[in-house]
Amino acid sequence: MLVSKQWISQFTTIPKKITPQQIGIDLTMHVVEVEGVIDEAQFLDNVFLGRVESVQKHPNADKLNICTVAFGQAHPAQVVCGGSNVTEGMLCAFGSLGAKVRWHGEGDLIELKKAEIRGVKSYGMICASDEIGLGEMFPKKDEKEIVDLTHIASAKDVGKPLAVALSLDDVVFDIDNKSMTHRPDLWGQYGMAREISAMYGSELKDYAPAKIKVQETKHNIDVSVKDTKACPRYMAVAIDGIEVAESPAWLKKRLMSVGVQPRNNVVDVTNVVMFELGQPLHAFNANKLTSNNKQLTIVVRKAKDGEVYTSLDDKEYKLTKEDLVIATKDKIVALAGVKGSNNSGVTNETTSILIESANFHAVTIRRTATRHGLRTDASARYEKSLDPNLCELAMRRVVELLKEVSPKSVVSSTIVDQSNFTLDQGPIDLDINFVQRKMGVDLSATEMVRILTSLGFGVKEKKQILSVTIPTWRATKDIAIREDLVEEIARVYGYDNIAPSLPTFPIVPPPKNALRDVETTLRTLLAHEARYSEVSNYSFVAPELLEKVGEHTKDYLELENPIAKDRPYLRRHLRENMLEMVEHNLHRFDTVNIFEIGKVFKKELEGEEDGQQHVLPRQDTLLAMAHAAKGDTNPFLHVSTSFTTVMTRLGLVVHYEKKTLDDVLVHPGRFAKVFVNDVHVGHIAEVHPLTAETLGLDARTAILEVNLSEIVPLLTEKTQYQPLPQYPSTERDVAFVLDKEKQHEDIAAALIKADPLTVDIELFDVFTGKNIPEGKKSMAYRITYRSDEKTLEGKDVDVIHDKIVAMLQKKFGAEIRA
Amino acid sequence: MKEQLASVKKEFEAQLKRVSDLSQLEELEQTFFGRKAGAFTNLAKQMKDVAVEQKKAIGEMMNEVRTNITKELEEKRADLQREEMKKIVDIESIDVTQPQLPKEEHGHIHPMAQGLKDMTDAALAMGFLVEDGPELESQYFVFDSLNFPPDHPAREGMDTFYVKDHPELCMRAHVSNMQVRLMRKYSEGGTKPMRAAYPGRVFRNEDIDATHEHTFYQFEALAVSKDINIANLIAVMKEFVSSLYQRDVEIRFRPGYFPFVEPGFELDIKADIGRGEEWIEMAGCGLIHPNVLKEAGYDPNEWQGLAFGMGLNRLIMVKYGIEDIRHFQSGDLRFLKQF
Repeated sequence: MLVSKQWISQFTTIPKKITPQQIGIDLTMHVVEVEGVIDEAQFLDNVFLGRVESVQKHPNADKLNICTVAFGQAHPAQVVCGGSNVTEGMLCAFGSLGAKVRWHGEGDLIELKKAEIRGVKSYGMICASDEIGLGEMFPKKDEKEIVDLTHIASAKDVGKPLAVALSLDDVVFDIDNKSMTHRPDLWGQYGMAREISAMYGSELKDYAPAKIKVQETKHNIDVSVKDTKACPRYMAVAIDGIEVAESPAWLKKRLMSVGVQPRNNVVDVTNVVMFELGQPLHAFNANKLTSNNKQLTIVVRKAKDGEVYTSLDDKEYKLTKEDLVIATKDKIVALAGVKGSNNSGVTNETTSILIESANFHAVTIRRTATRHGLRTDASARYEKSLDPNLCELAMRRVVELLKEVSPKSVVSSTIVDQSNFTLDQGPIDLDINFVQRKMGVDLSATEMVRILTSLGFGVKEKKQILSVTIPTWRATKDIAIREDLVEEIARVYGYDNIAPSLPTFPIVPPPKNALRDVETTLRTLLAHEARYSEVSNYSFVAPELLEKVGEHTKDYLELENPIAKDRPYLRRHLRENMLEMVEHNLHRFDTVNIFEIGKVFKKELEGEEDGQQHVLPRQDTLLAMAHAAKGDTNPFLHVSTSFTTVMTRLGLVVHYEKKTLDDVLVHPGRFAKVFVNDVHVGHIAEVHPLTAETLGLDARTAILEVNLSEIVPLLTEKTQYQPLPQYPSTERDVAFVLDKEKQHEDIAAALIKADPLTVDIELFDVFTGKNIPEGKKSMAYRITYRSDEKTLEGKDVDVIHDKIVAMLQKKFGAEIRA
Repeated sequence: MKEQLASVKKEFEAQLKRVSDLSQLEELEQTFFGRKAGAFTNLAKQMKDVAVEQKKAIGEMMNEVRTNITKELEEKRADLQREEMKKIVDIESIDVTQPQLPKEEHGHIHPMAQGLKDMTDAALAMGFLVEDGPELESQYFVFDSLNFPPDHPAREGMDTFYVKDHPELCMRAHVSNMQVRLMRKYSEGGTKPMRAAYPGRVFRNEDIDATHEHTFYQFEALAVSKDINIANLIAVMKEFVSSLYQRDVEIRFRPGYFPFVEPGFELDIKADIGRGEEWIEMAGCGLIHPNVLKEAGYDPNEWQGLAFGMGLNRLIMVKYGIEDIRHFQSGDLRFLKQF
């Protein structure tokens, strides 16, 4: 929203020594966020009101024209113009040589000089609004649009500096609308003036337009409000003798300063009141609300499903029964609180109007505006919960102004006021001590009273208690409890004036969070020891992807309103999206080592309580690791070894139990259950070759997925120290050929158990292929023998080693190699 | 025998003079001391044939000769080694700039995880416990318990993700869902002060572009005690921000609105993100709304709290100059390998 300094100054006095920049900062620090302070004339040196005298196609460029522009000099200037809307006779903002403009509203200021554009000389520029700092005042509808001042400026002013022709001598504050969604009272200039008066301690003028005098009762207005919750107040009055015309200059200037284009005196007056007070108004053509010119009928009701409303700009909308409409007996004449209809709008011929000043239910209006993609200045205000008392003030003000801009107008009906609202204005008992304690400042009661009063609160002081009455414009939802009042006092007092002081807390260490600690350690180990890179995937997954890996979507929780229509399901695993990332990265990298730590969602399992005696779907934290490298024919081992390494670092024991599985995702011969400290925590597999193909994986890919939430309880602080051996050890190697299906883990276990003197074994070679029969593999182990009682002699070791060889032959069918 | 010894010694010294490298020295050593046929070794073997009365004298002599020529041999060896070492400067010269081959892959921690860790470390150091919770959450914890009225716009489907067949659930739109959860968990029925930080992943129904994501990260923290006021909040925020940036950072508080705090603030920090020093919006904060305290089991007349929260993506984008928010969830190793 734009706030005009001149407009505000109608209602309060801004101390002269305070610069516009400072006002912007003060508003930001005490009230709402100011995004920009715009000096209207800042960029208008050497910019004149011009008139386009002629327009000719540029011989060498399709999208350019050669124009001549009159701007008060003896001869018009020739310029090359790219404006899409340039026409002969148009009044325009003419930047003469020496003017400084911002090309397309961006970058640094550029001084205009004589130029030759595609072979044609150009002496200046017809400007777009944002090129001369008037973008907020004249918003562009398309990129190449120049600002059209034909209906805004007066032709007799051609040649005057633009700032003079448009009386642009105001400073405008651009307020971030998001910072005042909770403040219905700030959506007009008067509300901002109130804040400024509180900030600077200057007086706020009463907003007291003249009471309306009924001059005749030519019309009888029949208002029937069918839904008083959706419409707590509806006021209407008829005015006759209207002469629709151009608004006077001061009115146009007001509107333009806040970025509204003037239309005609009737529409402009309703707009100016809305921007002044924050209360939307609508003017109906009274003749369209009646069949006999006397009885004007207004029905405020919900629409029927499928009922059609046609907007002022001739667009049709199919309504629902949630939408509130303003109707006559037979037609909808407005979408309540949003926009009027083309069947009842004010035209140049209109002489008799009905003014609506109503209050509508915030949520109803917001939902209607959202449902139909039709957000207007009116709906934006209604959805903030406006004070119904504004209806009357706005009505009085609009009638007062109508008489000024269309002097022959007469009030031609009694004023209808259907009112069904109550506001809780308190009072709230506010303990002075409470305010001081909440602020951490010994603020005086006098200052508290001053601040509250300046904001319109009624305050009665009795002993240590302030009895505070909430003004109606703050009572709709904004202020309800004493903490709200503390905020009012503190923000006006100024947060910068509050000296920081640390709170006191008992010195106790916070409870440990084992899951977080493990996640942190794992990240370091996985990245810096195992050399995997961490990725972060969406929690949502696509059905096509699930199908490719053999998952059933019926097992999945599904979003009601997915943004990405292609990813509606809540992941049960990390692996699907991980594999997609492997695939993407394999296009650019020969090796892909990635891991992810994240939550998954299982509807069939019970998770944490939901605060209402039920439980949420379980959301365990998983770890997934994937490895693929071009040329690596057995990526499984990279993943399994890396995982074992990091688990070992955590003091955990991993083992893999091979399973044969007929499955879409996993390779039938390269799949295992993962056990940590003998607890089954997940799986590891190479992706099935066929699935790898459908997934587009360019290299064999292995993936591991384990449940960290189940691993965390297995962690203990135990690290057992072994005293250093007293006697030397002896090593012997043994190499043998055996069935390919025999598993290292079993052999290793048998070796270590074979004799008390075998203290360590290490697999140092595995080989298949040349010289090894089909279905067999060659393995070589180094066995370490040691006694705690003596130095072993060769012959002692020979005996044990022979025993072990025999065991290997017997138990594993191993053929010992020389 | 004596003559033989003298001649061996003479011969040795003669040959030693001709030795010019270590391998020749090795050869010389073999010639005289070789186990089987060394000239000196052979002499030593003849000791057993020496007459008893001569044994002592011959023995002493032999020892003397051995000691002498061994010494000469070792001196020569040391000389030759010194010579040899002078050559390795050329022979064994290496390229000190060449990396070890084959090249090894490196692993990288996600910048978001690192950012979250930095924040939680700062909070831990200030005595806050750290805990994350459900991402799929009850509307009760996401909205109701936080003083959001039933028709608040944030609840609309255009802002929040809902789940089919579970109208009571939603994907949490902020980590504030942890406020009441954690206060209930650690306040011992509203009788103990507490401090908690809760970082995590949140979701908003938003179209994705370079500056918008539907999946992003927030960090929030709260503290409850019997006396907490605006001055405390300002001090805690100053400490937290300084700890995070490891320097004094200028901050300012201005009015802001969030349903679960009253009063509410926006916190700006003064920073230079390439356009000179300016105020950058960093966090929302405030004193916990009495309705929220009540919901968590605290008596709001007795207990007060402060809470602050911030989005992480933008902070990290500012820190590293990342231009597109979509990189975080892209899994693109070209991006991830830079951190």
